[in-house]
Amino acid sequence: MLVRTVTNILDANNRIARDNRALFDEKKVFVINLMSSPGAGKTSLVERTIDGLRDRYRIAVIEGDIQDSFDAERIAKLGIPVIQINTGGACHIDGNMVQEILPNFDLGAIDLLITENVGNLVCPAEFNVGENIKVMILSTPEGDDKPRKYPLMFEKSAALIINKMDLMAHVSFNIDKAIKDSLIINRNLSIFQVSCKTQAGLEQWFEWLRDRMNDFFARRP
Amino acid sequence: MHELSLIQSLLTIVEQYAGREKFSRVRSLKLSFGRLSCLDRKSLEFAFSVQSAATIVEGAALDFEILPARIYCFSCEEDIVLPGALAEYCPRCQGQDIVLSGGTEELKLLEMDVD
Ligand SMILES: Nc1nc2c(ncn2[C@@H]2O[C@H](COP(=O)(O)OP(=O)(O)O)[C@@H](O)[C@H]2O)c(=O)[nH]1
Ligand SMILES: [Mg+2]
Ligand SMILES: [Zn+2]
Ligand SMILES: [Zn+2]
Repeated sequence: MLVRTVTNILDANNRIARDNRALFDEKKVFVINLMSSPGAGKTSLVERTIDGLRDRYRIAVIEGDIQDSFDAERIAKLGIPVIQINTGGACHIDGNMVQEILPNFDLGAIDLLITENVGNLVCPAEFNVGENIKVMILSTPEGDDKPRKYPLMFEKSAALIINKMDLMAHVSFNIDKAIKDSLIINRNLSIFQVSCKTQAGLEQWFEWLRDRMNDFFARRP
Repeated sequence: MHELSLIQSLLTIVEQYAGREKFSRVRSLKLSFGRLSCLDRKSLEFAFSVQSAATIVEGAALDFEILPARIYCFSCEEDIVLPGALAEYCPRCQGQDIVLSGGTEELKLLEMDVD
């Protein structure tokens, strides 16, 4: 007997992500799912973004990156609520892992929740956690061929942060090619060229993010 | 690595169907995904062989429909299937005004043959 199913294998995760989303909406929390390869600069960007936006927004962080167990301590040092997810060696964060740790936050006292995903360019893009937007980082030492090799994350992200621009001259990263390929994959991608080290370019990212957040808060007064 | 969690979800879906449609054995499963979705067929098959042991899908054949990469070319005004991975140009007119239009589809269970 043939049974037609046409079921997305990620449905169960998507349902949990939608439940998370409903809770974030109710509590008016803007959520970023931040993704990249290991070492591209996720924790650095989180630190810089906290510095840039903390005067206006109450920020909290979920740490899922297992590359460096000091990430959560780096954030805690800034006096920001942070919870480390124990992914048990998993290569991504999923909706359920986020749901389980949410009771540890006072969501009513958070405007912006940044989720630092596990360092991996492949599967974090497949697993929604209830975020408003996915943001990805590509750092110049990784090479300009990454959009072509891992198109899924570029397709799903709202913003691409090209980090370590201070190293570009040393690593022969072709910025035009990286941008062109990224836009073939996703025409709506907002692209920022930054250095978390020198802080160049970060102001444009902050401005874009403030606009997105203000849109969200305006729709849920 | 993510193949493990995907196959786990697949098994849960099949078991839910089995409860509803009252079948006790699965002969074959047809799955689909896009060739740019970073899923690896061999890893899926391996994860399936390990995780399906002692379930109603044990021994079932896996059949894959792998969807090609596609672009929309604004010069040709047409959706075009690419022979391989993502290209920089339209393979028909060499135009650069293109946008990815297919190939990153997520893993789906299309149908199953059951007893
Ligand atoms: N030169 C340079 N180094 C950076 C930049 N951003 C981050 N790094 C360094 O890259 C390494 C990994 O950064 P981290 O934020 O921990 O990356 P994560 O693994 O993605 O969280 C650290 O040694 C950072 O100091 C940058 O813009 N330029
Ligand atoms: Mg980190
Ligand atoms: Zn994974
Ligand atoms: Zn063409």
